[in-house]
Amino acid sequence: MPERRLEISVRGLKKSFGDNKVLNGIDFDLYDGEKVVVLGPSGSGKSTFLRCINRLEEPTAGEVFFDDTLITDKNIQAMRGKIGMVFQHFNLINNLSVMENLTLAPVKLHKFSADEADAKARKLLKHIGLLNKVDSFPASLSGGQKQRVAIIRALMMEPKVLLFDEPTSALDPESIGDVLSLIHEVVNNGMTTIIVTHEMNFAREIASRVVFIDKGRIIEEGTPSQFFSHPKTPRVKEFLGKVL
Amino acid sequence: MDNFFSKLAELFTTPEYIDSLLHGFLLTLQIAFFAVLIGFVLGLIIALVETGKSKWLAPLRFVFRVYVTVIRGTPMALQLFIMFFVIFAIRDFPQVVTAILAFAFNSAAYCSEIIRGGILSVDTGQTEAGLALGLPYRTVFLKIVMPQAIKNIIPALGNEVITVIKETAIVSMVGMYDLNMAAKDIGSGQNMASYVVPMFVAALFYLAVVYLITVIIKIVEKRMRRSDARA
Repeated sequence: MPERRLEISVRGLKKSFGDNKVLNGIDFDLYDGEKVVVLGPSGSGKSTFLRCINRLEEPTAGEVFFDDTLITDKNIQAMRGKIGMVFQHFNLINNLSVMENLTLAPVKLHKFSADEADAKARKLLKHIGLLNKVDSFPASLSGGQKQRVAIIRALMMEPKVLLFDEPTSALDPESIGDVLSLIHEVVNNGMTTIIVTHEMNFAREIASRVVFIDKGRIIEEGTPSQFFSHPKTPRVKEFLGKVL
Repeated sequence: MDNFFSKLAELFTTPEYIDSLLHGFLLTLQIAFFAVLIGFVLGLIIALVETGKSKWLAPLRFVFRVYVTVIRGTPMALQLFIMFFVIFAIRDFPQVVTAILAFAFNSAAYCSEIIRGGILSVDTGQTEAGLALGLPYRTVFLKIVMPQAIKNIIPALGNEVITVIKETAIVSMVGMYDLNMAAKDIGSGQNMASYVVPMFVAALFYLAVVYLITVIIKIVEKRMRRSDARA
């Protein structure tokens, strides 16, 4: 296997909210082209782990490197432009139209000119079949539509890594499929991703590596076939026994 | 009732009375307008400091907390007296400026709480989405948080404007000739010798301007709510 570039490296990451220790020392490496699925019981710290990478949560201890550069409060803004994020609750900007949601950041941050951003946004909207919603406000979209717009909003910045924080947990069963197939497509196009999800079948299909977090630690990781068919730890066996 | 209408006719046919009322009305509008404007700006500053996260602002936050508590916890009339007879007890200092500042300082405390509530009412997911795209906090605040906060507080701000307009009537207590004072003057013994009609007319003036404000607020609110449409 050719040597692959390290995109994200996490060392000794800890996060507490008051007395509540959510992350208890996480070491994690993400290589170019990897599709890592993070599994674990609710409250295990999966989302916090993701949010510490782009510093939506300030880590209590530990370091996160992106592209060999330590992420700090000083460079975080530039880093966030390269690490996209998709949220559980979509978080489309309510006071901006779909087009403005897509173009605000890339134009403001001089990634594209207004015309380029506009053209790119239309192309992506057309691709997901929502070009007719270009001037609509988020309130008029369904959950599945919102999440698909949120995914292409993240793609507008052409990130090197995309973080998905339970992207289908707030959706109705019918729109889950649409969102999952879009994520599938993004990932198959080579996007390096970390996905926190509860969709086990999706995890098995998409993951190049599965990471299991419990009580703020990574307790097992491996390829999907190893992980789902031959789990090593009793905790993962118990977890899989309940969810599969 | 005949008496009422004849008095009404008398009021509207006596140029001095009309003059007095308009004169008073103008002062009322002047005080209210500038007080609301300055009060909003000061309130915005207080709200920004109070919702800000920088620890350098902690002492200022404390000062503003005390300020808001004192202003909201004491009567407006008392604040007006203190402004007139203590803080601005300077000879030849324009009374109207003192009055404007008294109401502005009062309104700032209420406005700051309204605006602070508005900022806090915006879902943190909105801020996070902006930050996660790499936008600077300033842009996130101005383009995302503030427009949504303002939209949410338009009705409360409208209430505050109306309150200030009507509350200015107490400047007659320090002898200023506002709309309220004009009505009292016209109704006094050496003039119409009846308070009913001039006060009724003054009430109509207040009502008219408050109604106008209400209509304007409704229009602004409707415009800002366009993004909430589900169709």
